[in-house]
Amino acid sequence: MTKILTKHFDTEPKFHELEAYRRLGGYTALKKALGMERKAVHDEVTKSNLRGLGGAGFPTGMKWGTVPPEDKLPGPRYVVVNADESEPGCYKDRILLTRAPHQLIEGLLIASYVIGAKDSFIFIRGEYQNQYDILEKALAEADKAGLLGSVKIHLMRGAGAYISGLDTALLETMEGKKAWPRQPPPFPTVAGLMAKPTVVNNVETLSMLPFIVNEGGEAFAKIGGPKSGGTVLFSISGSVSKPGLYEFPMGVKLREVLTACGGPLPGRKLKGVIPGGTSMPPLMEKDLDIQLDFDSVRAAGTFLGAGGMIVLDDTMDAVEIAHNIERFLTHESCGQCTPCREGSNWSERILHRLLDGHGEQADIDNLSRVGDNITGKVICALGDTVGMVLKGYIGRYPEDFKKRVKQNG
Amino acid sequence: MSKSAALATKTAFTPEQEAQLVAWTKKYPYTNLGLIEALRSVQDWHRQMTPAAAARVAEIFNLPFSHVWGVATFFPTFTQWKTGAKRVGICHGLTCYLAGSDKMEQCLSKTLGVPKKTATPDGKFSWEPMECLGACEQGPALQVNDRLVGKATEESISKLKDMK
Repeated sequence: MTKILTKHFDTEPKFHELEAYRRLGGYTALKKALGMERKAVHDEVTKSNLRGLGGAGFPTGMKWGTVPPEDKLPGPRYVVVNADESEPGCYKDRILLTRAPHQLIEGLLIASYVIGAKDSFIFIRGEYQNQYDILEKALAEADKAGLLGSVKIHLMRGAGAYISGLDTALLETMEGKKAWPRQPPPFPTVAGLMAKPTVVNNVETLSMLPFIVNEGGEAFAKIGGPKSGGTVLFSISGSVSKPGLYEFPMGVKLREVLTACGGPLPGRKLKGVIPGGTSMPPLMEKDLDIQLDFDSVRAAGTFLGAGGMIVLDDTMDAVEIAHNIERFLTHESCGQCTPCREGSNWSERILHRLLDGHGEQADIDNLSRVGDNITGKVICALGDTVGMVLKGYIGRYPEDFKKRVKQNG
Repeated sequence: MSKSAALATKTAFTPEQEAQLVAWTKKYPYTNLGLIEALRSVQDWHRQMTPAAAARVAEIFNLPFSHVWGVATFFPTFTQWKTGAKRVGICHGLTCYLAGSDKMEQCLSKTLGVPKKTATPDGKFSWEPMECLGACEQGPALQVNDRLVGKATEESISKLKDMK
């Protein structure tokens, strides 16, 4: 089984320490990259088919390519690590930060070299205080060993808002503002932090870079599927006997993942699998043999997201699940766009009514209507999700919703 | 005297705290990049956000009071109610909900003797449901002061009171 990021996790308990990380080949990629032309490193990343693993799946090499060159736009440029993991179901970044902080720092230094960033940032959610401490220690180790060179890496914590995990909202948070997403264009690579060109990449994405530099982009691409290179981490929970972090080549079959993690639990019947965090509607029994990569999952009507996999079984109720997700989205809606601010709240209240036994058929129709009036009519993906989740669950589990309609109302 | 200055005069930051707030203005390449961290410090010290504290922070950052108060009331980490010294969070994201987080909420309420978002009379504890804490494999996840404790069980909750 090919593993890149978690290769040493089972055998080296001190992988988070500089000594162990270097003993296992750590920071050789940085040295190699610094000896290459910046463009040559960038080319390897483009060839690797590395896609953004924070949820959007945007090709990393292409994202970097949209940063205006220094001769056209002089001045500072930044790399920001998005470590604001807060999508329900996702905890891969927490484990990467805990077990392999130097892998991330090495990746960040490689990215900073390619982009030409002298100040780089790790924005970590405030609830990851243990991981903040680990990063602080790792940065001090790397600094003492002279590995940071001329790059200054700044650590910064969030303050509990899910929406801060969206790149433009993250930049607003960093700038000391409410986390209101920006309406692109311009995209952050052109005008990001303090309106300077800024690359925002996820923890997992950047952690892949040492392997890509050492082994070459083609070797990485070969591990994965046609347009999604390398491996992918799934943080698995729900109806499984072995919840935890799993690394598979991109394009692994859903069936194989379920076998590895022991899902659904014995005696239970599979109801669905949320592939990438609760914003992504579930895959169904018929999807067991699809390949899990960005494009194949999209073709199946949902998204790979950030690999936060939740296995659902027949003891769970779709209305309760949808209500839990909509309650979350209502709480986390930033309030900037009216359709999302109001619509998320309406949908939560309607779902609550269904759960309370006062639901009518019109409620189900209204849920779909509310969803249609949000998705595609708001600035960011959170709002789109409000509608997608409603349609996703009503469409997949109509009988669960019908059961909740008052019989003699 | 401006409204902000009037509010700020009532603030009680110690000289050390004032120095820490000023340090946040200088830590990053731009002053405002330190604002969230500065407000985190205030929440740690006072266990809540007050207009008076926000006004003093606004002065130190040379920002309008409305900007700082807007930020201070946007983020869930900052509260207008006073948290306990140990701020306990129980995750009610989907996996944790499916694993029985609502029962653990009842257990917290019973064990600590206070409803959610209310500090115990001695000020030591408060508890509240929180959105996904990124520990789904240990759901329902329990945390204290931004640090993961592990799976919430009747046993782990009963041990909270022994925490130093």
